Amino acid sequence: MTALPLIIDTDPGVDDVAAIMLAAASPEFDLRAVTTVAGNVPLDAVIANAGRSLALAGCSDVPLHAGAGQPLVRRQVFGRHRALGTFGDDLMPVAPVATSGRSAIDVLIETAIEAAERGQPVTVCALGPLTNLALALVQDVRVAAGIDRIVVMGGALSALGNRAPWADFNMLADPHAAASVLRAGVPLTLLPLEATFQVLVTEADLQRLERVGSLPARVFARLFKASDRSDPARFGRPGGPVHDALTVAWLLWPDLFRTQDAAIGVATTGEVQGYLHADFHNIGDQPVNASVVRAVDERPLLDRIIERFCALPDPAGTHEAAAL
Amino acid sequence: MAPAVQPRRIIIDCDPGIDDAIALLLAFASPELELRGITVVSGNVPIDLTVRNALQICALAGESGLAVHAGCHRPLVREPIRGLFSGPTGLGKLDLPAPTRPAAAQHAVAFLVETLTDAADRGAPITLCTMGPLTNLAVALRVSPAIAVGIERVVMMGGAYQVPGNRTPVAEFNILADPHAAHVVFSSGLPITAIGLDASHQALSTPDRVALIEAGGGALSRAVGDLLRYWDRGDPVRFNGPGGPLHDPLVIAHLLRPQLFATRAAAVAVELEGALTLGQTVPDWFGQTEAAATVDVVTEVDANAFYGLLAERLASGRRRVVA
Repeated sequence: MTALPLIIDTDPGVDDVAAIMLAAASPEFDLRAVTTVAGNVPLDAVIANAGRSLALAGCSDVPLHAGAGQPLVRRQVFGRHRALGTFGDDLMPVAPVATSGRSAIDVLIETAIEAAERGQPVTVCALGPLTNLALALVQDVRVAAGIDRIVVMGGALSALGNRAPWADFNMLADPHAAASVLRAGVPLTLLPLEATFQVLVTEADLQRLERVGSLPARVFARLFKASDRSDPARFGRPGGPVHDALTVAWLLWPDLFRTQDAAIGVATTGEVQGYLHADFHNIGDQPVNASVVRAVDERPLLDRIIERFCALPDPAGTHEAAAL
Repeated sequence: MAPAVQPRRIIIDCDPGIDDAIALLLAFASPELELRGITVVSGNVPIDLTVRNALQICALAGESGLAVHAGCHRPLVREPIRGLFSGPTGLGKLDLPAPTRPAAAQHAVAFLVETLTDAADRGAPITLCTMGPLTNLAVALRVSPAIAVGIERVVMMGGAYQVPGNRTPVAEFNILADPHAAHVVFSSGLPITAIGLDASHQALSTPDRVALIEAGGGALSRAVGDLLRYWDRGDPVRFNGPGGPLHDPLVIAHLLRPQLFATRAAAVAVELEGALTLGQTVPDWFGQTEAAATVDVVTEVDANAFYGLLAERLASGRRRVVA
């Protein structure tokens, strides 16, 4: 089986690190590029975090590209865990970080057009605000044809929001980009909060990563604890979600996810700016434009993710991290 | 004879469109301008046609070496709307030969980023003349914010400031066609000269003025005469007679003869939320908002002098300075 050509568009973010690690640990993917966008933290911090994450996962050779530093239209907001900023040296091993010098948006455009011409469209996991994808899709009509599917972490249907009462962070941070991408005619799989809230990493899981795992697994456990994602009052049990990692997991193990087609859109105006609405029953007579994840088989999924994390080798030249 | 002063470096971003086509011909005939390239955007007609029209107008004027860069194929967020007055091809009934060359390989946004970055590095900023929806410039500013340093000024056709709109009761077409892009440009802090309907509705293509242009006699004067005949709105109630408002050539005329225009400084915001007012340009004349007054809004134009300049340049056949 040939590896799936994949681009990760990301704004790390702790759960973004999990997505990058899972992709890196999976031979099913041909990870072509990591494109960065301002989101959870400002762009400089995003780039530093993404570069260190790639190095941690043994993927320093994957090109890293700097993308949009601000949303299309609205005033900039950052994520709830912004205080983490650039991951400290005590949390994430230091590694040299170099961007390509090319714009992430240009890379998305060129990669997609070339992929379309070769008849081998790429898949994009979109883990942050959709600014880069919107700026790429609006420029050239051939870009859409070169993207096989966009797997988006975003939206809050019944779970309601995490950054506003009505919106998840990614939709809230750039609702105009989201609305633009949803109109682009690219097949899309959506992982909204009620799906990602179904997969909670527990203390026992973290202990397993620390005990059994290699350096990447241990670093991830430490990062996860530092961001304190547990919210028993909301989730009804202990543990914290790994939102973005589920986009990569869906590509790997779709059998563990139940999806439902819907016509989805995002409010760009008014009091609920950033609200993602999904019509599962053709009430609005709009064409279906997304496959929305409704249910996830939590335990086998977490076991498989942890298994992949634990199999990641220690990255080369990590002596400075030996003290961990 | 060489112009007395250094020609002004410009890029024209357009969506031809009859009035865009006339603006291009005026720019070609103006040695005061050094045209670095043409970028084209989806607007009056879809991108394939705006590109084709730009290439055809270049060929008509013998500008076969001038790069035409195809730009964005749709607005930033909203669905496209099209112009109502340029006909299905975008050039009325003007019948021009098919283009004999393709558009440049480089995308309009990539060209803007590269050229303006270079202009910033060399300390030689460029004036951007925009005549269509502002998608290309907005995307370029978001892809590469540092290009702002390479922009001397944006001279824009767009907006309706103290007069009603032309596509809705309050919105002008170029702004309405991509209001989000207009927001990006107006909120950028760039110095802007905004030539809106306030100006162009003072510059009507009356039969006398069309006759003045046609009296030039050459191929360009005849072609513009044909375009302006098609441009007649047939709406004497709104325009007090035959003719139509000649929007885009005012941008070039402003570069050539700023003394023909009166302006007033304001901050300008674009309405993005209103059900009735989407795309309205809202000028702050009296400093009632926190925003800086970065926009010189054109309030008056000497229309007779403008048409005299246009007729003279089209007739003279003088050539622009080649970059």
